[in-house]
Amino acid sequence: MRKIVVVSLSAVAFLFYSCNAQVKPNDIIIKDDVKNYKLEVVASDIAIPWGMAWLPDGSMLVTEKSGVLYHIKNGAKTKIKNVPTVYARGQGGLLDIVLHPDYAKNGWIYITYSSDEGEGTGGNTKLIRAKLLDGSLTKIESLYKATPNTTKGQHFGSKIVFDNDGYLYFSVGERGEEFVNPQNIKRDGGKIYRLNDNGSIPKDNPFVGQVGVKEAIYTYGNRNAQGMAKNPVTGDIWAHEHGPKGGDEINIIKKGANYGWPVVTFGVNYDGSQITAKTEKPGIENPIYYWLPSIAPSGMTFVTGDKYPDWKGHLLVGSLKFQYLELIKLNGNKVVGRQKIATDVGRLRDVKQGPDGFIYMGVEGKGIIKIIPN
Amino acid sequence: MLLNTKLVIGFAAITVAGFSLFKPFSNEKYFDLDTKNTATLKTQSPGKEIYLDFCIQCHGANGKGDSKNFPPLDGSDWLKNKRKESIAAVKFGQNGEIIVNKIKYNNAMPAMGLSNQEVADVMNYIMTSWSNKQTKIVTENEVAAIKK
Repeated sequence: MRKIVVVSLSAVAFLFYSCNAQVKPNDIIIKDDVKNYKLEVVASDIAIPWGMAWLPDGSMLVTEKSGVLYHIKNGAKTKIKNVPTVYARGQGGLLDIVLHPDYAKNGWIYITYSSDEGEGTGGNTKLIRAKLLDGSLTKIESLYKATPNTTKGQHFGSKIVFDNDGYLYFSVGERGEEFVNPQNIKRDGGKIYRLNDNGSIPKDNPFVGQVGVKEAIYTYGNRNAQGMAKNPVTGDIWAHEHGPKGGDEINIIKKGANYGWPVVTFGVNYDGSQITAKTEKPGIENPIYYWLPSIAPSGMTFVTGDKYPDWKGHLLVGSLKFQYLELIKLNGNKVVGRQKIATDVGRLRDVKQGPDGFIYMGVEGKGIIKIIPN
Repeated sequence: MLLNTKLVIGFAAITVAGFSLFKPFSNEKYFDLDTKNTATLKTQSPGKEIYLDFCIQCHGANGKGDSKNFPPLDGSDWLKNKRKESIAAVKFGQNGEIIVNKIKYNNAMPAMGLSNQEVADVMNYIMTSWSNKQTKIVTENEVAAIKK
């Protein structure tokens, strides 16, 4: 009798756990790390290296989430002065940094961060541009500040990327208000925005001229995009976003498109309860790939150089949760393969191809790590 | 014990009644949303709301962490025996190696930017949730007195 009870209990337990685990049907299995490279720490002791950019002399600018902007040259870190004060709460802080495509001529640096500027308690994502002079940010211009301020800790976005026509895209997450913000184009949050390089709104933005809308919006229904990159072949902007528990997505950003959060999702609430039974719906863009379970994607870059022949033309995405770099093999816009790189490297916050063609990773608690092929 | 049970039943009855009367979170504006979830997310103690905002992503809805990078809060000996350190971790962040229930964790938890009252609220939620049964309430003053 006891035996039967034990057996049936373990059967129940097995069922419970197997139902609980999220499994994606017919997924592309991720291949093991082949470790045909070495890792070299090029800048150490950075708590949360959130974004990175390279100056023309090859030195780096790295944002640290708590509000420090580092200039890194030959492994030595210097703090840049006159960095705006960040609203340091939850996932907020000093976020991305990107140079203008024509930086050599105009010197503009674009930065996103969480700011408590404006009415109301709390903060929201802000985009500025500034110039770097004598180790200090100068000529700071406010380009966009999402509203309203809120004390919620989640989902500020905010990656920045330029396209081939010089438009700037940046993301603002839904700020922990999934039923309020992402599907409403009269509100900020849960969006990807497109601006001219001076912060003005392009006349052909999708919602320009509609009453009461945020005309800077380019796409909506985006939960929290923390990776954006320009596809070097097509010129399209690609973004990934965090799902809730499961359902992280890679999307190709299309003018005026709705990416569905929280109307459709492959994920569930953190407690396992259902958000919606739907994973797709007419009028909503499907992701080109989704992860189940979540990897917590952070940072993305296309590999274009000849340094890594096996990786060239493919996509790299960092995983905060599983602490590796994921190589996503592409055939056009289709995901055809996956492979682990830098297994157990740590919480991977950002990944970029540097101007020297090498891949650099921002890893929490470690710093900036360069991948050198054997 | 009996009194407790009665209180719980009473509270549950009031909560249920409240919902049927007010239907507090309607989402007419949006299509196809499951209102049930909004309701469960909103009717929380302040500590639970902070937990859902700041903690759940890593420590999980069940407070069990992942036994690798994120330590458990449910049944955690560290939380039970190191009250001051636990408050300090929530207030200022936690870095470096700690041992929780005989497993080593060596990750960084950033400071969340919570007020002292919010730290107290979320500590009280964590310390009385799942199997945790701490009885001494964390107060705002106790949090204020914890220095780096």
